[in-house]
Amino acid sequence: MIQELLTPFHYDYMVKAMLVSALIGAVCACLSCFVTLKGWSLMGDALSHSIVPGVSLAYLVGLPFALGAFISGMLAAACMGYIKSATRIKEDAVIGIVFTTFFAAGLLMISLFPSNINLKSIIFGNILGIANPDVVQMIVISVVTLAVVACKWRDLVLYTFDPTQAKAIGLNVHVLHMTLLTLLAATAIAALQAVGACLVVAMLVTPGATAYLLTDRFGRMMVLAMAIGTVTSFTGAYASYFLNGSTGGCIVVLQTALFLIALFLAPKHGIFASRRRGRSQGGASPTTVGAALE
Amino acid sequence: MIDRLLEPLQYSFMIEALLVAALVGAVCALLSCFLVLKGWSLMGDAISHAVLPGIVVAYVVGAPLAVGAFLSGLFCAVGTGWIKANSRIKEDTVMGIVFTGLFALGLVLFSKIETDVHLNHILFGSLLGIDRADMIQAVVSGGITLVVIVALRKDLVLYCFDPNQARAVGLHTTFLYYLLLSLLSATIVASLQAVGIILTVAMLATPGCIAYLLTDRFGRMMAIAVTSAVFAAVVGTYISYFINGATGACIVLTQAAVFVIVLFIAPKHGLIANRLRARVSLKENAEPG
Repeated sequence: MIQELLTPFHYDYMVKAMLVSALIGAVCACLSCFVTLKGWSLMGDALSHSIVPGVSLAYLVGLPFALGAFISGMLAAACMGYIKSATRIKEDAVIGIVFTTFFAAGLLMISLFPSNINLKSIIFGNILGIANPDVVQMIVISVVTLAVVACKWRDLVLYTFDPTQAKAIGLNVHVLHMTLLTLLAATAIAALQAVGACLVVAMLVTPGATAYLLTDRFGRMMVLAMAIGTVTSFTGAYASYFLNGSTGGCIVVLQTALFLIALFLAPKHGIFASRRRGRSQGGASPTTVGAALE
Repeated sequence: MIDRLLEPLQYSFMIEALLVAALVGAVCALLSCFLVLKGWSLMGDAISHAVLPGIVVAYVVGAPLAVGAFLSGLFCAVGTGWIKANSRIKEDTVMGIVFTGLFALGLVLFSKIETDVHLNHILFGSLLGIDRADMIQAVVSGGITLVVIVALRKDLVLYCFDPNQARAVGLHTTFLYYLLLSLLSATIVASLQAVGIILTVAMLATPGCIAYLLTDRFGRMMAIAVTSAVFAAVVGTYISYFINGATGACIVLTQAAVFVIVLFIAPKHGLIANRLRARVSLKENAEPG
């Protein structure tokens, strides 16, 4: 039994996959705290899809995939910002148009020039078969991201909670905005390898949201989120060995399960806790779904 | 030259593909007008990913795939609404969590079953290889959506522009909310075959935006959206035949090209018009009196 549970650790590729997943999980979780509070979830989704043409182009011409991905991600972000500021179309529609266009361009490129890039590994990630140069790229991205967040911690937190105040005390909010966006794009690229384009957004949202339900303090939220991200990514990669299923799928299912547990059981912000509170306050009407729909 | 251009029309699979693409494009375009105004474009994104587990479960129990897809898409929308109402997390975050959770569940389930459903077909569509049963499914769910939208057009328009007013005149807004979500799910199910999960979002966002840049009136907006979508669907499918590229991607890129052109040259809301207006008003300000 124990023997069987330890089998994944006998394979180098499994150990590598679990460690790399854990690292990416931690970095994504770190950013997810900012993303959740700023309401940028869909930006994460959009960026992760927009980097696909960059990845395919980079593979075609033989550049490091992270470079191509990064350029196309930033290009997409610039397009969104420009169209949004120049027209009357709402932000969500602009995001939808731009990222699908980029994604379609990537798909078309792959279908026109079938090469050694596997569409599946972009869409679903391929952490079990990750090549060493890619691991190096991911480690570099992770270390740089964590270092930037650590150095600019106070500024970034202030900017996240209160951009006006940040501006008032003389911080350059444009630079902070761009920094956060750049980090997001870089992390999305790293996560692409682990869970694939469709599930990157989960890594960039779910741990932060789960931690947000559990605490009111940002520092603690960060620690909790990173712990959740690391553990779920490690365990998910581990479980995928036994399930013989997609690694990304396993990681994200685990993260969602933790989120649901927190949603119901969180001591202060959980659904059960607020129900109880509602009852003890003399049946103050609980929020109904209907009221929130409008 | 002409012969070469007419060549695709000699194949029945191309004609079928063109018809299905045009129908799906038209239905999506109609709905996209409502979504663009309501700010729901990304709800389309969420629902289209969330249909995956429904498809897998439907396959396992032997139900029609469209039914499973529809129910699981609706589940995503309702679940998002419920979690948002019952927690302090922002709507976009909730949406991200719910749809990725469902998509991941679908992936894990999918890897556990033996199936002849191709994941690639669900993800990217397979318009040129569409079989009769799928075509009927697309036509039926597209047709129902079309009829419902046309029949309830006035109520839906009022609900999208001003929900409070809609309630004040006695419309059942909760019903309309769920109706719109159901229509969205049904449309996504219909368009899965044509362009696949990921690019459905484009079909549900771009035509509405194209039309929104060109007109201020809702009736015209719907007409323009449908026209541009049908045009893009036909041209995209046609191009994909010649360059031998992914059909869904060609359709979406054609739509994007139309959008970019309109973005610049739209008479009132386009970038060039904005520039000109800005310059004129500068001049007027500069000349005193």
